[in-house]
Amino acid sequence: MALQRHTRSVDGTIPVPALLYDDEDNLASQEGVGIYDGTQKAPNHQNGTVYVTSHRLFYIDSAKPRSRSFTLDLSSIVRTEYYAGLFTSSSKVTIHLNTVEEPSTSTNGDAASESWVCEVCNFRNPPGSSPTGAKCNLCGVPRAKSGSGVSTPRPVSAPPSSSTLHVSTSLPTSPSHTPVPSEIPCPACTFLNAASRLRCEICDTQLPRSQPPLKSAPASRPTTPGPDDAEDSGIMKLSFRKGGDKALYALLKRSLLGKAWEVKEIGKRVEAPGPERFGGIDSLVRGVQTSAQSRQLDMYDALKDLDALMIKAREMVRLAGELNERLTASASATVNEEETFIRSSLVQLGLQLGDTPITLDMIRDEKRWHEELARELAGVLQGTGAKGSVGMMGERGIIGLDEVWGGWNRARGVALITPAQFLQVLPHLHTYTQPVVLMRKFPTSGLSVLHTPAYTGAAFAARLHGQLLASGARTTLEVAWEENVPVGLVAEMIGEAEAQGTVCRDVAQHAIGVGGKGGGEVWWWTNVFQGYVWDGQE
Amino acid sequence: MSLSTHQTPSGFLLPSIHSAPPFFTQQPNESTQAIVLEQWTRLILTYARHRRLFFLRVEDAEKAGGQWDEILRNERINRRLMPAHLETILRAMVRKNVAAYEPADQTRAVLLYWRLPEEWAAVLHEWATNTGQLNSILTFYEISDPPVESALSGIPDSMLRAAIAILAKSGRAQVISIADGEGVRFFARSGR
Repeated sequence: MALQRHTRSVDGTIPVPALLYDDEDNLASQEGVGIYDGTQKAPNHQNGTVYVTSHRLFYIDSAKPRSRSFTLDLSSIVRTEYYAGLFTSSSKVTIHLNTVEEPSTSTNGDAASESWVCEVCNFRNPPGSSPTGAKCNLCGVPRAKSGSGVSTPRPVSAPPSSSTLHVSTSLPTSPSHTPVPSEIPCPACTFLNAASRLRCEICDTQLPRSQPPLKSAPASRPTTPGPDDAEDSGIMKLSFRKGGDKALYALLKRSLLGKAWEVKEIGKRVEAPGPERFGGIDSLVRGVQTSAQSRQLDMYDALKDLDALMIKAREMVRLAGELNERLTASASATVNEEETFIRSSLVQLGLQLGDTPITLDMIRDEKRWHEELARELAGVLQGTGAKGSVGMMGERGIIGLDEVWGGWNRARGVALITPAQFLQVLPHLHTYTQPVVLMRKFPTSGLSVLHTPAYTGAAFAARLHGQLLASGARTTLEVAWEENVPVGLVAEMIGEAEAQGTVCRDVAQHAIGVGGKGGGEVWWWTNVFQGYVWDGQE
Repeated sequence: MSLSTHQTPSGFLLPSIHSAPPFFTQQPNESTQAIVLEQWTRLILTYARHRRLFFLRVEDAEKAGGQWDEILRNERINRRLMPAHLETILRAMVRKNVAAYEPADQTRAVLLYWRLPEEWAAVLHEWATNTGQLNSILTFYEISDPPVESALSGIPDSMLRAAIAILAKSGRAQVISIADGEGVRFFARSGR
């Protein structure tokens, strides 16, 4: 019958989570479920709890969990039907089972497709996780080949079927596949007697008389002795006597669609050295599947690595913090090189925390430290005063802050200045520079520059005004050329002068003809509107 | 550089600012732009009075050949007023109550008040008095297109109505329905 052909009995006293495979998830459970085998009620499975996992369906009998519980692989389910129930009839889920494949795998299928229990540690290894002859997942002991067949739960399912015949068939290889048995094994001493003998040659035990008729009987007889086998055996039903059917059925469907067991098989296929060769679309599809699968595995591994790395990094930061605290605590008077070295190492690794000072110098006098830096920066900008030394500013009177910072750090080479420090140093700069170097920030763009007094807003505007008065309108480019300052900076400064009303603009786009002075170019004029008095017709 | 005034063919004396290219550009600096708007407003109103123009449309700045070319374009410095700039000028004029959008629900054409409606009312009453037409009923057409050229020749209907409304309020005119539309009767200042 379907029930005993497709299911394996389990020990229901063990909690279900302990029975699961490594990658199996328990999804839901429902108590008060009865089982129909085919269309008939299965007498031994009328009240129990059903668990749906990603791979299997468990039935744990409430009355006799040890002997009457079983598990069903979802892979053997072909389709399912749902019946909502009517009046006293409780709702049912009908499960159609694969009637062709399952018997063959259960009788002569390879051992790898079944779960097996390790002899040493009693760990239940999932099917297929290790090929035949491989080791136990838990303790690493190789799987015992001869004993494995006995230890699989398969033969245990025989007793509930109430047929003593099965005990004898489990001893040698399945008799159903040796069509003409030439020898009869003695049930007592296992000696193989000639087929014609009625009693054992050695111990004189009565030999089983049922063997000879086997010759003419159908091959499937020993494994499926049920009388209703012919009409239907591929159906079993779950009857939900206490409700909960809808939720469980939805999860079962999802689990069936998910085909978690197939993922496992694909993964196995990737590992296999060289499976069968396929041609055409099949091989292409297989190739795509395989590569997608391996990519997923790689990604998974990589992400696991990343997680580990992050944990390590967190530890390291914590360690650095502790180290720093301890150093600060003991830094009262003694100054030794190791301490400084450790601190600077921490800084270089970017592990410095908060505003912990870098050097002891700064603890003592932060202001002096900034002043020293300012002196150094002044040297970088304007030359150190030695012969032939020209600073970054050189002939220029204005320079972008980013350029200064980059240039200074390039000049320092080691112990680089952070932008925050750089900004702290700048206010001290004017005391060490000649002519005075100041910082200003253009309001429109937020661009910051260092400049000499000739480039303050007022000075530049006055100079620009004079220039425009003398030579008429000019473009930004012409002004930049005249001032020997980058166009971007000049544009900022002119923008400022315009905002102050010193200059005004003429957009050449407003020319009458297309061939005007050039598309979109801006010509700068002195503010012709300032103080203009009407001189046209009254 | 010195900017100079210029006499147009129609006899209008353009201000010197008209030959400064920045005058034709919308200035980002607000205080500068305020001066630009002020000068443009004055220029437009002065020119409108000179040519007796009542309407200014944004289209006038879009293509050459209109009545306003002499001030909206300057061939000598190769500049013209952009339509968008003209629209902002019109908006400023409406805000200063020296023009009104005509028709009311758009922003691309204005009726210019180079004389305010109150001034027009005074002109209208004076004309009626001087031409001896007090107490007689006149059609709008007779006022805006009189046989003898007057200060009111070509005055738009809406402006005329506004002026009459002001006069009516002070009891110096009365709108009367006549066979083919409306008419108006003017009274002497002292009343009927």
